[in-house]
Amino acid sequence: MESVLGNWPSYDPHNFSQLRPSDPSSSSKMTPATYHPTHSKTLPPPDQVISTEAKNILLRHIYQHAEEKLKPKRAASENLLPEHGCKQPRVSS
Amino acid sequence: MYRSSNIVARIFDRQICTPAPGTSVHHARRFYENLVPSYTVYEVECPDHSFRKFTDDGQYLISFSRNHQELIVFRPRWLSFSCNDEDCDKHDLPSKAKKFDSFFSQLYCVPLASCNELICKDFFLYMESNQFGLFATSTAQIHDAPAVGGAVHGVPSIEKITFHLLRLEDGEILDKKVFCNDFVNLTHNMGVFLYDDLLAIVSLRYQTIHILQIRDSGNLVDVRAIGEFCREDDELFLNSNAQGMALSDKNKQHQLPGNHIENHIHQDQPNLGHSFLSGIKQRLLSFIFRGLWNEERDDTLRIQRLRKNFYFHFQDYVDLIIWKVQFLDRHHLLIKFGSVDGGVSRNADHHPAFVAVYNMDTTEIVSFYQNSADELYLLFEQFCDHFHATSRNSMYMNFISSHSNNIHALEQLRSIKDKASSSSQFVKKMLASLPFSCQSQSPSPYFDQSLFRFDDKLISATDRHRQSTDHPIKFILRRHPYSLKFKIKPGPEAGSMDGRAKKISSFLFHPILPLALSVQQTLFLQPSVVNIHFRR
Repeated sequence: MESVLGNWPSYDPHNFSQLRPSDPSSSSKMTPATYHPTHSKTLPPPDQVISTEAKNILLRHIYQHAEEKLKPKRAASENLLPEHGCKQPRVSS
Repeated sequence: MYRSSNIVARIFDRQICTPAPGTSVHHARRFYENLVPSYTVYEVECPDHSFRKFTDDGQYLISFSRNHQELIVFRPRWLSFSCNDEDCDKHDLPSKAKKFDSFFSQLYCVPLASCNELICKDFFLYMESNQFGLFATSTAQIHDAPAVGGAVHGVPSIEKITFHLLRLEDGEILDKKVFCNDFVNLTHNMGVFLYDDLLAIVSLRYQTIHILQIRDSGNLVDVRAIGEFCREDDELFLNSNAQGMALSDKNKQHQLPGNHIENHIHQDQPNLGHSFLSGIKQRLLSFIFRGLWNEERDDTLRIQRLRKNFYFHFQDYVDLIIWKVQFLDRHHLLIKFGSVDGGVSRNADHHPAFVAVYNMDTTEIVSFYQNSADELYLLFEQFCDHFHATSRNSMYMNFISSHSNNIHALEQLRSIKDKASSSSQFVKKMLASLPFSCQSQSPSPYFDQSLFRFDDKLISATDRHRQSTDHPIKFILRRHPYSLKFKIKPGPEAGSMDGRAKKISSFLFHPILPLALSVQQTLFLQPSVVNIHFRR
């Protein structure tokens, strides 16, 4: 008996007897609709590499909290942070 | 997943069913519900050593001689004997089962401490990847040591502390690291933290965190020393500037010959101790300052806030000392700061304490919390496992029950929280355990809270001595059928004669085999009673 399931053995030969194979006329209903993107804005950059975050979740939270404390007052903090990395000897008085 | 509690049925189930994703180890551990150390051999005749612990891979049993001068390492093995009769189960075990040698074979005995030194029997760290063990010997403690050479006042001094790195396979001493006239808190591994191959040793006396690396060859290599200087070239920079100042001072010092011996370490930097705060203290103070500065926009409000919160407490902040350190990952340290009084005392509840996260590479303090901060407590409650920094090599560390990975432990924590009278006291009590001590929890599956329920006060995964009771400690199944699976009874079978003597017991569980040792000691130098619990 032709069916979608083919001639697979079954315990009771009357099982699956009600199943009708798909008609060729209704084959168009079976084709799922395909969607095509209209833009390429969401394409990843061609050299993108996905890797695991090196910091564990605890450290990520700690850094996040630290950044949140600095964030709202960002305008004020600009005056304060000195330039890093320049170790110039100061003339002692 | 298992339909029955019968071990054979479970083995058949295991053949057919796949556990849910990510739970294969948890399902495998459920077989420990069937294989339990239910049989006890009381008062085993064993050599009179103080047994320390099983290594976390179960390969060695570490013990020290009574005089604390030698290390003795045993290999755990299993009892084996043959029985010719039909009903073997009904027979008692042969008499050699009562011998320590049937369960453990001695590998070697190595003297570590010379004449005036003693092995610190509470200290042991194991590096599983290379099977290296780290031990410590020290001379006697000197209280009220004078604070010379940059030492902190109030911290005792030990003339010589030696860390020995041994290859446990054969007992060969690979390297040593010596600290002279210093103080490192060695009890229960508190002053030292091992993460992967990095070792952090806190010198309380000189307020320095020494970072060392254990190489595969067995060498202990200095990586950096955080404390007075943060970056590797700080010392060079300050020295080159200080030379100009030192020259004029050196002329004055030559006129006082008596001071030479005591000050010879710091002769070329005579002024540094007075004019500069230590590097890490500067980082900390500037972090606090910046945090307070950023909270206000208006300059007058800023100054008010700084005056109230920073300058008012300035001397307290300057007087803070490093108490304890742990790694959070290879680049970050969690440092606990507190006052000098609390650093060496056991009960530090009444002393203010602070916790800071320090990035070793950028030498920046990332965050700074007081030990009653709710924010820090929330992180502790949710991510407790990440505070137990687990190296990539030891996978079993992920399965030690904590309130972040186990619902029963979390319920216990919640019930303590609900019963607590004051929320800030509760938070302080919980955060007092930070930073965690290294390798202080046993990975044995019998302490897995999702498998067994047991009385936390009498026994737990943390290897500490506990008050001993005469009643056996029960281990009850968490799952259906909630039955009592096995009991651990320390001390002699009939209970000890002297009921009033204070007894303490310690438990050593093998991490893999259903084998445990319970050691009961009375405090009057009587020999300890050792019981072996195993699956018969």
